[in-house]
Amino acid sequence: MANENEKLSVWTSISFWRRSAAWVTGFAVILLIWLTFNTMGQISMGTDADLKKAAQEHRVVSRVPGPTVINYHIDYKMSKKRGHEVPVIGAKEPFFGKEWSEKEAAALLHLGKLTSQAKNCMNCHTLLGNGAYYAPDLTKAWLDPAWQKGGPMQAMTNTNTTEEAMAKFLQNPSQYPTHARMMPNLGITEEEAKGLVAFLKHMSSIDTNGFPRNFSKTVEQFKTGGTNAH
Amino acid sequence: MFEQFTDVVPSFFGYLNQGPLTLTIFLHTVIILPMIWIYFDEKKKLKNGK
Amino acid sequence: MLTSIKTNEFAGSESKKLAMMYFRVAIILFGAQLLMGLIAAIQFLAPNFLFEVFDFSVARMVHINALVVWMLYAMIGSVYYLLPDEAGVETVGIGLGKLAFWVLTAAVAVVVLVYIFIQVGPGKESTIWLINEGREYIEAPRWADIGIVVVVLIFYWNVFATYMKGQKTGILTVLVADLLALAGLYLAGMFFTDNISMDQYWWWWVIHLWVEATWEVFVGALAAYGLVKIINAKREIVEMWLWIEVLMLFGSGILGLGHHYFWIGTPEYWWEIGALFSALEPVPLVAMFVHVLYDWGKEQGIAKAEGKPGSVMKNGPAMAWIVTNAFGNFLGAGIWGFFHTLPQVNIYTHGTQFTAAHGHLAFFGAYATILIGMMYLGVQGAYGIERMKATFKSKMAIFLITFGVIGMTIALTIAGYEQVLVERAELGAGWNAFFVAQDLPWYVQAQIWRTIMGVVTFVGFIYLVWDLLTIGKKEAKAAA
Repeated sequence: MANENEKLSVWTSISFWRRSAAWVTGFAVILLIWLTFNTMGQISMGTDADLKKAAQEHRVVSRVPGPTVINYHIDYKMSKKRGHEVPVIGAKEPFFGKEWSEKEAAALLHLGKLTSQAKNCMNCHTLLGNGAYYAPDLTKAWLDPAWQKGGPMQAMTNTNTTEEAMAKFLQNPSQYPTHARMMPNLGITEEEAKGLVAFLKHMSSIDTNGFPRNFSKTVEQFKTGGTNAH
Repeated sequence: MFEQFTDVVPSFFGYLNQGPLTLTIFLHTVIILPMIWIYFDEKKKLKNGK
Repeated sequence: MLTSIKTNEFAGSESKKLAMMYFRVAIILFGAQLLMGLIAAIQFLAPNFLFEVFDFSVARMVHINALVVWMLYAMIGSVYYLLPDEAGVETVGIGLGKLAFWVLTAAVAVVVLVYIFIQVGPGKESTIWLINEGREYIEAPRWADIGIVVVVLIFYWNVFATYMKGQKTGILTVLVADLLALAGLYLAGMFFTDNISMDQYWWWWVIHLWVEATWEVFVGALAAYGLVKIINAKREIVEMWLWIEVLMLFGSGILGLGHHYFWIGTPEYWWEIGALFSALEPVPLVAMFVHVLYDWGKEQGIAKAEGKPGSVMKNGPAMAWIVTNAFGNFLGAGIWGFFHTLPQVNIYTHGTQFTAAHGHLAFFGAYATILIGMMYLGVQGAYGIERMKATFKSKMAIFLITFGVIGMTIALTIAGYEQVLVERAELGAGWNAFFVAQDLPWYVQAQIWRTIMGVVTFVGFIYLVWDLLTIGKKEAKAAA
């Protein structure tokens, strides 16, 4: 009798589990492919026209803006509706003293992204939170008060804009020590440095669903004069 | 009960994402339900003593 | 160096000899991984150590690349080892397999030398093709990518042709399907894009779908083989659990990919998908192990009652490592993964030492353990030992390595916790917040403990190599 029951149990039947495994795996793959198509549409780079619209309406229309976003002021503001901070495209502002055409901006971003890989940034820093944890996250580095007017970096590099401070620092990082843990000199050229800054500015405009959380707290603290420096 | 749609770009999966767990419960259900059919099909096979 | 691991007593199985060749390179790369990890750990404490000579980025790159490559070597070795046993026929295409081995090893040597001596290149396409791709875990330059694809195709062809020729056991069926997915996924990491979100989207296809789906299933198949081999586990029990593992690992792992899509620019619907699909992954691995052991104990009891000897544990150290695998996987991949897989938690923990803690215990618990177990099976086969017992060195190795890795994990978890609260919650994630958190004594102390535990792990590794080199000779002599 006991033997009879055992034979009838589907739960110990290999073929039940094999068929279930095949179904679940196959269906999960189909769902993932579907989701991937949907996501691809949403994270493809936006256009210049999108940006003009975004600047008028003070919001973001594509999750990953096009390269010409470097011509605009970028802010990171709390959205009540979404419950976290979101990048906001503001008015136009010069980038390295000029406005970049669609073609120029795309070429600069290309150089920057390529350099970020060639110099192996990701094995010390995190980009969008992924990478190594030896150096600060670069997701919103462009917006970090340390690089803004009145911050320590512009004074140290003797420059007047965020982009110039960053570019100068990147070419000779160990000349501008900010901490016992310094960035090594990686032989970054002036052009490559500009590209990297464009890459960082572009990255800060990506809608990361509120990551890193609390970022504007850093900004507020900075504005009220607290630097947390020890 | 249903929350306002918050995704930047509307999409099918975005519409299913209407507050806590709606999307994930839906997907889990769609994946697990057919296993019930597989279960009874296997049971029938075992009963017929293949 | 490791030639004293004999290869000539496999009753003529060329496939098993080839397996041992892979194991040897694997263990050397494992050593390299640990050394690089120690350098990187020291740099956290003394940032001037090798500054602008051998920077953290280089040490860390070689650390994680050696990890991935030694595991791939040990995985390929394991497959060549079990293939003749499972299929019941000798592996086809061994000559080609050996050629592929030498090509791959030469390529790995060149890539590592370039990493170490050239390190970085100018921001040009040529850097990505020749020096490094700068994408964590898959930094290998494009030429090497293509070489890896060719070598893997040869390997896969050998496995597939052997499978078609011999008997098709459940273990082999799962392996053949799994390896195809594993090899195919590598292609998703072989392109360049200016769009960092797109870049990371596909990058995770390789990393996640390897480590949290196809590799896990692979480990399930290895554990199944190991249990059959070592304690004569019943094939029906093992294969039933193997299919349950495929069901749960792929069912949760494939869409569990979503937990990497919370913050990289991808839509919000990934929050829910990523949160709840990834939670159940390693449960069935422990379940198979417990069921098999329960059944084994029951059979032993019956045999004893009938006055028969029962079946013996044929390979003590391999079994010990498989036990460590079952629980290490559950703890490292399961518990430490679940810690921060929900977006509500992950928004604070993402990009902190939390991830490093999880990475250390998961890679060790889920993969290193079972691959070391396979190496012990290899040594046993090479010397034709009927019953291999653990030596003092085997025990020191498993104790020190496990203790060291758990110690590093706990230290990094504490460091991560401090970062989460101070850098992320209290100060707000900026550049200054990062360094304030890095300088707090609790963080520094955790890094000191991580380094100490790294040294413990390394001592364990020395015992491991020593044991692998000597256990066969010793036990073969004892048996004679």
